[in-house]
Amino acid sequence: MTDVLMAILVAGFTSGALYALATVGLSLVWGSMGMLNMAHAAMLTLGGYVAFTVITSLGLPVAIGFAGAIVAGALAGAILYFAIVRNLLQNDKSTFEANVMIATVGIGIALENAILLTYGGQPLKQPVSIAGALRLGPLTLPWQNLLIIAVVVVMMVVVSAALGRTRMGRAIRATAQNRDAAQLMGVAVNRVYLQVLMLSGALAGICGVMVSSMTQLSPPLGNDPMLKAFIMCVVAGLGNLPGAIAAALGLALLESFVQYALGARWGFPSLLFVVIAVLIWRPSGLFGHAEIRRM
Amino acid sequence: MTGAAAKPPVLQLDGIVCGYDGLDVLKGISLTVHAGEFVTVVGPNGHGKSTLLKTISGLVPLRGGQISIDGRRLSGKPHETAMLGVAHVPQGDMLFAQMSVLENLLMGGYLAPDKAEIARRLDEVYALLPKLADRRNQIASSLSGGERRMVGIGRGLMMGGRILLIDEPSLGLAPLIIDQVYGVISQLSKAGRTILLVDENPARVEDLADRLHLLDDGAIVWSGKPAELMARDELLATYLGG
Repeated sequence: MTDVLMAILVAGFTSGALYALATVGLSLVWGSMGMLNMAHAAMLTLGGYVAFTVITSLGLPVAIGFAGAIVAGALAGAILYFAIVRNLLQNDKSTFEANVMIATVGIGIALENAILLTYGGQPLKQPVSIAGALRLGPLTLPWQNLLIIAVVVVMMVVVSAALGRTRMGRAIRATAQNRDAAQLMGVAVNRVYLQVLMLSGALAGICGVMVSSMTQLSPPLGNDPMLKAFIMCVVAGLGNLPGAIAAALGLALLESFVQYALGARWGFPSLLFVVIAVLIWRPSGLFGHAEIRRM
Repeated sequence: MTGAAAKPPVLQLDGIVCGYDGLDVLKGISLTVHAGEFVTVVGPNGHGKSTLLKTISGLVPLRGGQISIDGRRLSGKPHETAMLGVAHVPQGDMLFAQMSVLENLLMGGYLAPDKAEIARRLDEVYALLPKLADRRNQIASSLSGGERRMVGIGRGLMMGGRILLIDEPSLGLAPLIIDQVYGVISQLSKAGRTILLVDENPARVEDLADRLHLLDDGAIVWSGKPAELMARDELLATYLGG
């Protein structure tokens, strides 16, 4: 029984770590810009394929593959900013949220199809994988899962330090909390938006490598984690980063337990049940604050 | 203030026009503020006082006229305006609610050239507002109204700007706290800070301001010494309801 429980916990923490990485990227963009980036899934997929190309086609080390995925994701974020977001921000602010969501749906579809045209639809094996497992008495901890958890923990520490202790991070948090006040302090908010999209893209890129290392590379790779990340963002309260990480871990563990107890097909419906219950009980999310708009 | 008007102006507004949607709120305002001067704009609610400060700091776009700081025309972008030395303490504080008092103050020093300068300004703010030092790790949203106002002023001082724009510092505060806030503003003025302040009540600035402009329906209808306005019952009755 202990073996089973440990297997569920390891699977749950691994999924939770991956979801947290995807969720933080989404939540960061929403929290600071009020933008739901529907191209996040495609950026995640792009990271996976870039790492595959760097390692397999160019024959470079795995570490360079990781770096390639991060750079590709950050570049995709920058292109998204310069091509779409910057222009939409110049229009009526009240229409930005809807317009950018629709625009990024289009960007996501285009990017996914570009990947399909380039690499084909057949699944590919991501070379970032470690065989074997760490055995601690009765416990078996696969190295691959431990690698994912370690990479995600490192990324979370880096992101937390960047947001909490650097001038750039303070500017991002200030812009998220009060855009006008941030501008009055001398923050160039458009530069902050560019930085946020690049950071989110970099997180998506590395998340793509990790997700594909557990499954396989395919053009719709990012869709499932993106959907679940969105659910976790809503459960946590859109834009709440620590809440998003807590929700990602909690819901991934719940999903793992449900899949074991009731069968794999009940995993995703259980997440939907939770999000519906949260939206009824606490519409602003478990860790969110209700927003009051004076008309 | 003695002889300030002889110096070149820090802030100069020439016929500025601005507003929201199709409506002009400010209809050709011209005024100057010289170095070390304390200038006040008073007027009833909804007649453009806050809009005036927001236009100077770039939050509301200019439709006509021009604004200059030390003779340099402003671009209308708020962060560039801040770089030229305009420190705006907005109405309602506009603090970063989930940040600590210290982080709010550090955001004020966002454009400071180095850490030593930030530390120097922080010491200056704590010397003027010692309560902020005690509250430095407290989250801004948990502060009282008076403390929030002090953080807003402290954050403005951290910007180390050429001119401090202060928007209705008494709004929503108890009389005792208002006295404390104005006490701090008075100290700043005596220390030689250049201040442009807007408020509803001319009595609060009677002994502080060098010059006063009366704003009505987006236009300046009277200018002079605060004491002169206080002696003009017909003006007070007409524009400020007595």
